Amino acid sequence: MTAATDTAAATSSRFGTFALVFGICFAILYVVCDMASLPMFTYHPGPDRIDPGFTPPRRDEGPAMYWYGWIANSALGASILGLLAAMLPEKIRGKIPLALAWVVPVALVPVVIYSLRFYWRW
Amino acid sequence: MDFVLDYISVNTFWTILSTTHALLAVALLGALTHQAAAVLAPPRAGAAGGFVTHFRSVSGPRYAAAVCVLWVLVFIVGAWIYARYRLHVRILIEQEQLWKTLGVFEMKEHIATIGLGLLPVYWHLWKNARNAAYDSARKWLTVVLAAICWYSFLTGHIVNNVRGFGL
Repeated sequence: MTAATDTAAATSSRFGTFALVFGICFAILYVVCDMASLPMFTYHPGPDRIDPGFTPPRRDEGPAMYWYGWIANSALGASILGLLAAMLPEKIRGKIPLALAWVVPVALVPVVIYSLRFYWRW
Repeated sequence: MDFVLDYISVNTFWTILSTTHALLAVALLGALTHQAAAVLAPPRAGAAGGFVTHFRSVSGPRYAAAVCVLWVLVFIVGAWIYARYRLHVRILIEQEQLWKTLGVFEMKEHIATIGLGLLPVYWHLWKNARNAAYDSARKWLTVVLAAICWYSFLTGHIVNNVRGFGL
């Protein structure tokens, strides 16, 4: 392999590590943010206002939305962890199981169903 | 976007967005279903060329970028509609006490978001489709994303049936 293709392969590998760790951490952090009510910001669609962090709905202003804030928090956290993982030596990077990319989201499904127990009323 | 409302009604505007969301979702569903069929049951060499064989004979790597772009587009339009849904649809469904309908829609919101975060690794695995070490992860991640897409599509359809157009 030439130096150029070596570099490309290394970059690809580093990106692969970032992408894998980002995907795993994003999913976990999203569920944690949802269950622990940890949005980066709260959107109030009635008055079209954004407040930092978690803000409960105010009287006569309609509901508050946390979903956008959970995504922002999860994306930030997962990006940081992904970048840190991408900087690890190749020997360690290569040990992260690729299967986690689909095992983690599947494993989180029962947790998400449990987090929505309020809605499962008969 | 307020200038648009000088020409069309508010209901028409949100109906156009909902329809766009649905059409993009149909394209995404088709692409992911073809790709999932191709990885789960690749056609045997020399098999007769029937409908099923052709259905699963697509080139998976050619779909990967389109799937990523479509997922992001569907997500952006869905996130835009979501605020309107929260004010004008969900409250009515709550008043009707259709809790399970709300629950399955909340589930859609969560797993579609998790799917969004998986797109970079999905794209990476398909970009390196010749790497045999990625075969298993690529196959099952594609199947997981296809399952998320099917669930989200059907759930969106159910909620739309509950409330109807004219958000």
